[in-house]
Amino acid sequence: MSARSLAEEFFAHMEAGEVDEILGMMTPEATVSLVPLSRHGPMATDGASYLRELSRSFPDLLVRVRRLFVTGDNTAAAEITIDGTQAGAFLAVANQEKHVDLDQAWMLMVTPDDRVSAVIAYWDQNQLYRRLGVKRLDKVTITAE
Amino acid sequence: MTTGARRAGTGVTPRESDAAAAVLAFFDAYRVRDVERMVDLCTDGAGFRYVPFEVWGRQRVVYGEGKVRTVGKVIWTALIDAFPDLANAVTSLRADADGNVAAEAVIGGTQARAFGIIACVGGRYELPHLFLFHVTGDGLIDDIVAYWDDVAWKKQLGCLEVD
Repeated sequence: MSARSLAEEFFAHMEAGEVDEILGMMTPEATVSLVPLSRHGPMATDGASYLRELSRSFPDLLVRVRRLFVTGDNTAAAEITIDGTQAGAFLAVANQEKHVDLDQAWMLMVTPDDRVSAVIAYWDQNQLYRRLGVKRLDKVTITAE
Repeated sequence: MTTGARRAGTGVTPRESDAAAAVLAFFDAYRVRDVERMVDLCTDGAGFRYVPFEVWGRQRVVYGEGKVRTVGKVIWTALIDAFPDLANAVTSLRADADGNVAAEAVIGGTQARAFGIIACVGGRYELPHLFLFHVTGDGLIDDIVAYWDDVAWKKQLGCLEVD
């Protein structure tokens, strides 16, 4: 399987909330860096925790891959848009049933035997807060009226 | 800040090498705050998109999206005006054989003037960015997209407002 196909499968599982299937695509020591959350650690814990919360909070999640290319070292770089309606607290933000569309960029490092060994994700948390109705960065749990 | 670019992968094609060189030249120009050089490294019609850049007004939202020679140049100039010692360090660089380049860079500077809603209190920031470029076969950048987290940026500069 190519790194491109692997990345497409990764994002399809993200959309479906299939976290165990995502973990099954990883090397045992795979790492994750969720840059805006300052979470850098094992995919099996930090990555899985984020993906499970995403799925739980946005049960109608759509993940659209807008751009995908594979670099010479077999890293898949993707621009995606996640789209959904909040149905539960997410990253400490209370649920106001807001609709969210958020552009993100992900890099998946793929081994020669078609496993993902590292994941790096970038997005703007300020854009996410704006869409969820947060007004102040020191009061993310207190939402707009 | 110094450049510590790490080239990943082996068996690099000439197109990958040329694309990587163009992107490194772009960051070199950015590091010395030479906006004209940054623009000259791009095609006339190069696309530009700074994804987190959104200005929400009462009537409309202005996005950091358009062309390098219009929107990009204005944003770079305003950033350098607000952060006169703005610098960058490239931390990873990956290219493919079609001119696509993914580059991570830490950008930082000391605030000397207000920037948007971020009032100037003389703060300093350092912020990881992911840039996605496309470079033509002639070695010119024809598309720039960048991602970063505004929350980390604002908090370092003492701004706690979302908008």
